[in-house]
Amino acid sequence: MSYLKRSPWVIHYDASSCNGCDIEVLACLTPVYDLERFGIINTGNPKHADIFLVTGSVNEQNKEVIQNIYHQMPEPKVVLVLGICATSGGVFRECYNVSGGVDKIIPVDVYVPGCAVRPEAIIDGVARGLAILEEKHKKFQEISGGKGELVITEAAIEDAQEILDLQKLAYQSEAEIYNDFSLSPLKQSLEELREDFKNKVFLKSVMHGKIVGSVRAYLEEDTCHIRRLIVHPTYQNYGLGRKLMRRVEAKFGQAKRFETFTGHKSRRNIYFHQRLGYKIFKREHVSQLRDRVFMEKPLKKE
Amino acid sequence: MNIFLNILLYLVLAPLTGGLLAGLDRKITARMQSRIGPPILQPFFDVLKLTQKENLVVRRSQNFYIGFFLVLVIFTGALFFTGKDILLVIFAFTLAAIFFVLAGFKASSPYSFIGAHRELLQMMAYEPVIILSAVGMYMVTRSFYVSDIVSFSRPLIYYLPGILFGLLYILAMKFRKSPFDLAASHHAHQELVKGITTEFSGKALAMIEVAHWYENMLVLGFIYLFFARLPLAGALLSLLAYFLVILIDNTFARVKWQLALLSCWLVTLIFGFGNILVLFILRK
Repeated sequence: MSYLKRSPWVIHYDASSCNGCDIEVLACLTPVYDLERFGIINTGNPKHADIFLVTGSVNEQNKEVIQNIYHQMPEPKVVLVLGICATSGGVFRECYNVSGGVDKIIPVDVYVPGCAVRPEAIIDGVARGLAILEEKHKKFQEISGGKGELVITEAAIEDAQEILDLQKLAYQSEAEIYNDFSLSPLKQSLEELREDFKNKVFLKSVMHGKIVGSVRAYLEEDTCHIRRLIVHPTYQNYGLGRKLMRRVEAKFGQAKRFETFTGHKSRRNIYFHQRLGYKIFKREHVSQLRDRVFMEKPLKKE
Repeated sequence: MNIFLNILLYLVLAPLTGGLLAGLDRKITARMQSRIGPPILQPFFDVLKLTQKENLVVRRSQNFYIGFFLVLVIFTGALFFTGKDILLVIFAFTLAAIFFVLAGFKASSPYSFIGAHRELLQMMAYEPVIILSAVGMYMVTRSFYVSDIVSFSRPLIYYLPGILFGLLYILAMKFRKSPFDLAASHHAHQELVKGITTEFSGKALAMIEVAHWYENMLVLGFIYLFFARLPLAGALLSLLAYFLVILIDNTFARVKWQLALLSCWLVTLIFGFGNILVLFILRK
């Protein structure tokens, strides 16, 4: 049994815009609505919080603040965006300084539109967030307890949309490292990804009918190029990536060497590949923000 | 045999009562603000939830200190409720608090640093009156043993009203309540984030919470000592003291640390030390 539902602690951040929604959130804590009767506490400390409430649209200045708060919250956590500005940017969406809704920079679980959002709607949103919190908690127990069964198979073109969604989620952390949200994996369209299916082999790892990881690869001369290894953020650090790499290497058993690349600041990716026997052999300049580090693994001679 | 039973009873009952009292506190506070408030069992839900959260640390060792803090608080309470030397109780209690402060420093964030500093200031403010209360109890009962103090022929309040007042004055500090809620900033969370507990999450925070329940029971036990001759009245009056702290918490704003320190020392000096002086002169 989980107690997350009985005691959700929230942290509230007001990003920008008019503060109308901000005030409505505070109204929820007053005697009229009294959120505390559900065990909800407004903590003001990300490390104590389970639910992240964001009001207002995202602009260039508070982008990092929101990401920072999000990353400081211990799992399982849920993000609620309150009001139309936080949902999509609202009337400010075309302003030169506004990036749009909160989901442009962190994964959002519940959208509560409104201008200003009503306290009743906020309470309803939190209640929906609790169900998601519960679900995430179950997932964690499954992965950490090794209960969830993982199936790795070749992906078909019908999986394109799901893989694309996952790719955009998984590459968020990379984009944050370089503060560059124009990375090609984030910009890829469904058509482009469908094109990829023609010349690349896609592997997917599925848990409970949902794709939680994927990798693609193709053979060129005697070299197998491995591209875009992605694992759902919730499922990272449980060895899913390693399993995918092993499988793709086995699939291209005829290759003489394997090659992949990552960004120069992506220390975790580099370390991950080094653990699998890859070595850096080339560095290439791609943009002002980023260098591309190429890693290779020659196949053992029998 | 008997002592083991006592310790076992204490280990189970102290956190249960402490948690229930914390729940009651939140309910009463809510009612004072004309809100409905959370269920009485809310503090237990909170702690159980915290055990299900991810363990997020700045440094791994910070949770080790918290573990020591919890163990020492439990040890202190065990000494107290089995009627051992009250000086040992006070020193073990101080040591426990020191481990809490160390944990705050170890987490090395500006907020927990300020919180830890303030916790040290609070200790400076409340320690004198606690030590004076041991001195006063010894002067009256001629023993440092809690078991002897409890079985003294008359309630200690007859001899030590000033010291009891001093203890009541610092009570808000030990319960982490306004106006002396400086270190953990329980209510004014926007100012110091969460003070000394800022960097603790998940199981470590749950441990702090449970340690706090044990701590509260110990402090209420201290108040009880003054009425120990009349057990029922003693229990009721300690609960009344708890209610008083809640009432003050809801009616007073937080003070600055200078005022907290100064007023605690003044009250200790005038009422606590004055009480001892009068006792000394009368005994002569």
